[in-house]
Amino acid sequence: MTAAVAEPFGPLEPFVHPALFYRDEQEYLDVTVPFVRDGLEAGEPVAVAVPGKNLALIRDALGDAAGAVRLLDMREAGRNPGRIIPGVLRAFADTQPAGRRVRIIGEPIWAGRSDTEYPACVQHEALINAAFRGRTATILCPYDVQGLPDHVLADAYATHPTVIPSGSRAEQASDAYAPGAVVDRYNEPLAPVPDALTFAFDSDSLSQARHVAVGEAARLGLAGVKLDDLALATAELTTNSVVHGGGSGVLRVWTEDGYVVCEVRDRGRLADVLAGRKPVPRDQRGGRGLLLVNLIADLVRVHRGDDGTTVRCWFAT
Amino acid sequence: MNTQFPVPATGPSGPVPGLAVYPLPGQRGVRAAGEVGLTTRAIWEGVLEQAVREGEDVYYLELSDVTFVDVAGAGALAAAAGQLRDGRRFVVRRPPAALRRTLDLLWPDHAGIEVSTS
Repeated sequence: MTAAVAEPFGPLEPFVHPALFYRDEQEYLDVTVPFVRDGLEAGEPVAVAVPGKNLALIRDALGDAAGAVRLLDMREAGRNPGRIIPGVLRAFADTQPAGRRVRIIGEPIWAGRSDTEYPACVQHEALINAAFRGRTATILCPYDVQGLPDHVLADAYATHPTVIPSGSRAEQASDAYAPGAVVDRYNEPLAPVPDALTFAFDSDSLSQARHVAVGEAARLGLAGVKLDDLALATAELTTNSVVHGGGSGVLRVWTEDGYVVCEVRDRGRLADVLAGRKPVPRDQRGGRGLLLVNLIADLVRVHRGDDGTTVRCWFAT
Repeated sequence: MNTQFPVPATGPSGPVPGLAVYPLPGQRGVRAAGEVGLTTRAIWEGVLEQAVREGEDVYYLELSDVTFVDVAGAGALAAAAGQLRDGRRFVVRRPPAALRRTLDLLWPDHAGIEVSTS
């Protein structure tokens, strides 16, 4: 596994990706506001995608200058961490004029992210390095040292090549930087859930699999657009299993903590660490299934094993 | 392992739905019925290739009896629309929710595709 992911994390330049550790609002604003203002003064496109409360702080501190900044509530735009690279970061960076540095503040991990979400969050932070290496961009990632547990703060040293310690305004190199190891470490097995609806499918039963998933999800309380989204996700994941994952797979659907969860397990190997996280060039025909799943689900977790791949998607009821 | 579940009638050919295509009386275009997925993708792509070749200014795709279109099916539509020139377009009538959703998220400018809900 390590060998497979080592290459995507080669030298980053000119990409810059510091973690900012902040203890309070003042420390937050002391770094984020000059970061935004310096970018605007240099004529650089600037986006801020942070949780709503912090977004309001930055917006108020910027005053009129906030109008020139793309502002996004990360609790919405980045609810599913797998959505952030294609749907927030690259969606902004890729539409700016070429050659000019792009500045983004991205805060994907906040106090209150669940234990189920966290592995996807920290893998996302690690994969930013692979998705932006060689690109002229700076992504500053704030971490709330008061609200976040120690292991989360320790992981930020592994997912960021540089850090700005609490109370400081200067970047320093992180000796613990090891994004590939983080991706591997949080590649946690997803144990089968007892009592879930279980349906084994192959190419002849793709449509049936989708109907079974939709029927069960509706019974469990999913409705409207969310139910349509679950149908799309089920179709993409099961089709991937048939085309790339050994021709068959097992679908499971159940409910937990206010979500309907849909899981597809197959014998395929998902080699590309950025699968489903990259914008797809307009003229490329296929390869958008996992991307769509990331854009529509409230959370996506993936386990890449030696004997197969499991993808699990959560949809809020 | 599998529990047996009732499967809704999903198209013209029963549990394994197909994709049937009919001429659209009085207009340039086709009416399709069934669903667009892995097993019917080739039929759908054939419809779209024919539509691009016909060279009409407006080509109608009547999809009110299509129950589902997957991402590859939406991608085939977007790619075919990308081959249209000189203001030509597809008018996609009453598509299933999945197709509208996928187009909105992955091809937000809908170039060459007009979605009609009536």
